[in-house]
Amino acid sequence: MARLSSAAPERAGRRLPRPAPGAVVAAGIAALLAGGFAALFSAAGEGSALKELGPYLARVLGFSLAQAAVSTVLSLALGAALALALARRRFPGRSLVLSALGAAAAMPAIVVVFALVAVYGRGGFLQEALRALGFEPDFRIFGWPGILLAHTLLNAPFVARAYLDALAEVPAEHWRLAETLGLDARQTARHIDWPVLRAEFAPLASLVFLLCFTSFAIVLNLGGGGGRATLEVAIYEALKTDLDFARAAWLGLVQVALCTTVALTLHRILERPPAALTARLAVPRPDAGHPWLRAFDVGVLALAGLLVLPPLAAVLAGLPHLPRLLDADLAVALATSLVLAVVSALAACLMAVALAESARRPGASAIYGLIPATVLAVPPFALTAGLFLLVRRFADPALAGLVLLPLMNALAALPFAYRFVAPAMTTTAERYGRLASLLGLRGWTRLVLVDGPALRRPLAAAFTLAMALSFGDFGIVALFGGSELRTLPYLLYERLGAYRLDEAGGIALLLVALSLALAYASARLTHARR
Amino acid sequence: MLAVDDCRLAYPDFEARYTLHVPQGALCAVVGPSGGGKTTLLHMIAGFERPQGGTLRFAGQDLAGLRPSERPLAMIFQDHNLFPHLTARQNVALGVRPTLRLQEAEWSRVAEALRAVDMAALSERLPGDMSGGQRQRVALARALVTAKPLLLLDEPFGALDPGLRQDMIGWVDRLRRERGMTVLLTIHTPDDVAGVADRVAFVADGQVLAEGPAAAVLEPGRDRRIAAFLGRGAGAA
Amino acid sequence: MLLNVVTLSIAALAALAGPALAQPKPSLTVYTYSSFAGKYGPGKPVEERFEAVCGCDLVWVTAEDTGTLLGRLRLEGETTRADVVLGLDMNLAAEARATGLFAAHGQPQPQGGYALPVAWTDDLFIPFDWGHYAFVYDETRVKTPPASLKELVENPKGPTVVIQDPRTSAPGLGLLLWMRQVYGERAGEAWAQLKPRIVTVTKGWSEAYGLFLKGEADMVLSYATSPAYHIGAEGKRNYRAAAFAEGHYLHVELAGMTRTAKQPDLARRFLAFVLSDAFQAIIPETNWMVPVTVPAGGLPASFADLIRPEKTLIDTPEEIRRNRRALTDAWLNATAR
Repeated sequence: MARLSSAAPERAGRRLPRPAPGAVVAAGIAALLAGGFAALFSAAGEGSALKELGPYLARVLGFSLAQAAVSTVLSLALGAALALALARRRFPGRSLVLSALGAAAAMPAIVVVFALVAVYGRGGFLQEALRALGFEPDFRIFGWPGILLAHTLLNAPFVARAYLDALAEVPAEHWRLAETLGLDARQTARHIDWPVLRAEFAPLASLVFLLCFTSFAIVLNLGGGGGRATLEVAIYEALKTDLDFARAAWLGLVQVALCTTVALTLHRILERPPAALTARLAVPRPDAGHPWLRAFDVGVLALAGLLVLPPLAAVLAGLPHLPRLLDADLAVALATSLVLAVVSALAACLMAVALAESARRPGASAIYGLIPATVLAVPPFALTAGLFLLVRRFADPALAGLVLLPLMNALAALPFAYRFVAPAMTTTAERYGRLASLLGLRGWTRLVLVDGPALRRPLAAAFTLAMALSFGDFGIVALFGGSELRTLPYLLYERLGAYRLDEAGGIALLLVALSLALAYASARLTHARR
Repeated sequence: MLAVDDCRLAYPDFEARYTLHVPQGALCAVVGPSGGGKTTLLHMIAGFERPQGGTLRFAGQDLAGLRPSERPLAMIFQDHNLFPHLTARQNVALGVRPTLRLQEAEWSRVAEALRAVDMAALSERLPGDMSGGQRQRVALARALVTAKPLLLLDEPFGALDPGLRQDMIGWVDRLRRERGMTVLLTIHTPDDVAGVADRVAFVADGQVLAEGPAAAVLEPGRDRRIAAFLGRGAGAA
Repeated sequence: MLLNVVTLSIAALAALAGPALAQPKPSLTVYTYSSFAGKYGPGKPVEERFEAVCGCDLVWVTAEDTGTLLGRLRLEGETTRADVVLGLDMNLAAEARATGLFAAHGQPQPQGGYALPVAWTDDLFIPFDWGHYAFVYDETRVKTPPASLKELVENPKGPTVVIQDPRTSAPGLGLLLWMRQVYGERAGEAWAQLKPRIVTVTKGWSEAYGLFLKGEADMVLSYATSPAYHIGAEGKRNYRAAAFAEGHYLHVELAGMTRTAKQPDLARRFLAFVLSDAFQAIIPETNWMVPVTVPAGGLPASFADLIRPEKTLIDTPEEIRRNRRALTDAWLNATAR
């Protein structure tokens, strides 16, 4: 990363035209992917077991696509309904609800698994309560219910937050117009809400689909059977058990190709119309008083509460075990996680700004906008392995881990950061683009003077979310963690591996509390709270 | 007669108290310094802001308890008057019925309104593909089909160049004469309406400081704020 | 800008790892899995005892579990910093051997031989602890556990189980081989019979055991030594391993030194230490496995009541390597529906 991005803007001198920072980042990411995969292929050595891949792939893919599609539909439907309900209602504790949503969206997969089991499992609250009431529940969370619940729990809150931000950008004039024209609730939905939901549908749907399609720990642990696996599982197996690097690379490419196709298709079907944005004034929504909508909103909020709150509450079970956790190990892990999260979030935000800056150039939006989504489709395990093979020739393996870990976390957070940053930058371009080019404002100056004020909030939101995601990450740490790099999730697994389920629960609580705090900060920094 | 009598609004950083009388069928230009409360006055008449006292009547009807859509008025803003996903025709049709399910005769009314503002040829265009002046004319057409007797315009042509601004004010003036509408119009440059405005109201510090024929109101000797406003206006012109 | 960020991060993180590099003493780098070197694992006492005699600095480098350990080693290839690797799974020994990274250990058999249920000779790897795979249950919930693997598999009203995925975890692979030993060619049918009572298949041992403790399944695939943890650390006697008549599949953890070791002499000394009483005595109540030599004081009391399978099932690493793909596919076929 350092090699790729440093030289161009700083040292190109005055004579050569400076390459756009977005182009540099895009080229950097492309080089990383190409280098990683090439390294995997070249290190493959003797014949790879690609032959048997066919039927296995077909089975894995069929299930992956189905669960990702259903998860996406559920997450978008609930997320959109939730965003509308939150946009229409003001109630005490609303900002806390927003924070809870943010925290749920950033929960580590392993924590989600155990939290859902603690609520819905055979020994969970729900079934215990039913048993106490004299019922004989025979409900198994494992299988489709678990996977869908977990994916909806993780993604619907994120969709809701994104939609809420988008709805907050509707021009105040449109609401006044709705009032003078006497639009009823249905027409408000049709002329004001629906265009917003539609405009954001393609990017959100492809993001959620990719997240679910590449979901690993949730699908495997909650799936209930060996067939319930995603491509990531096959890639992990190839890297970890079979040590078949070529197969891992091939599977990774299949995944990238598939995900990019889905994302492209969604974007093509639903072109994003130009934004109509003004400074948002606090205009109360005229449809808030509609009795049916009130009932609907209460229902949606209750449903979301039922989905999000019990698993978050379940994590509280770790509270009594916190005192036993307080030692040097925890302090070091916490510090490591913090440093990693800050560095990753910073890198993610810088990349997002650079890409969004280039995306607003005429005709470039589609290409640059697609990069963050593609990055999400790249199996982190395969890419890390490939890059590691590359880096180890130049650097100490331990040092390689130190570079790769924040880099991979930054890449994983990039799509989310981009979702916050890009709309704001598009808006400033629409509002002040002509003025800026008239005044000859370019590059860094333009970013600071023109985009700066509008970017502060979305950037802060992107930063906190990226931090929260990086905090909970346990993809690559599994491989490159260790005595030097012990993050909180790593510590969680270490305790889990030593029979200390209670202490793992305490660490899970810490992780969720941290992401709750970050989400609270983030919610205060975005438009969503208004 | 539009009669605003001692209507009070209070905000943490701003207080307003309006009294204003505009005769039926008149075109009244609301002028004054920025931040003086011109837009707030219009928003209050439209029903976006609720006065805490006083009375607000139009043609004898008390408007106080009515929702914006129930009031006998249409309003045009400086920008964002059209929904970007609807064509010109659909945007105008919203003024007839928000469901957009119109009968044949009603669609003819929409077409007629678009003809009246010379936008018939562009009736299938999306707002994104129109110029600023065209968009405002479509908004005007919508105000016409609502057939409301009071028209409020909040800096409607501020973004247009002077020639186009004159044209648009000409449109407004012609239409209100043809249809007998009462028009209240906030405007930054009083010169634009010099020929057409029957009345001028000068608003500053949340009050209507003077109201009457243009020549009488825009008289530097009446108030130092008017003098200051005119001085600045003259300098800018 | 990005360069600065990355440099800063390296500097910051390297600062955390720094002190280890500054030591004047020679240092021995040992790769192991995370729970071995963790707070409750044998790592700390092992380090203290070895450093007391070696005049060196022992540095642990950890990966999540035994599979990840091998994956990391393969990725690092000859640039690996590892002098010794501790915690390889016997079932993946052929894969470990095929990396070509290991050197002959040169250790003689311990006096009186290994306390293993099978004979052990290998030029590259020494065993350091072992345990039989077993299904663990809570006797307050399961009154009459199955007495054989066949009973577990074939009784449609039998207990529910949570197991691990053979693609991602060592015990998962162990059960695959166990089923194959007991059922031979009919293993696929057996899996199909068991399938309705498999609650879920987890990524690793930790998740499965956690789900079992949370009450999600009647039994969990673990080790015959797991009850010792509950007795020794928690004083709970309700967790037991079910003894199966067909015998139990064996899990042996291995250690070896790398060909590229920077401290080959220290590495050999460490391997000798691994087989010594100082190391072996730590293992039972920290790693909760059976040591390969009986400690001087005998096994701790918590190990007294464990089941002792009379028959031990095992395959050679080469066989496993040849058949693993086919077995996994057959398993997927039988359980995917």
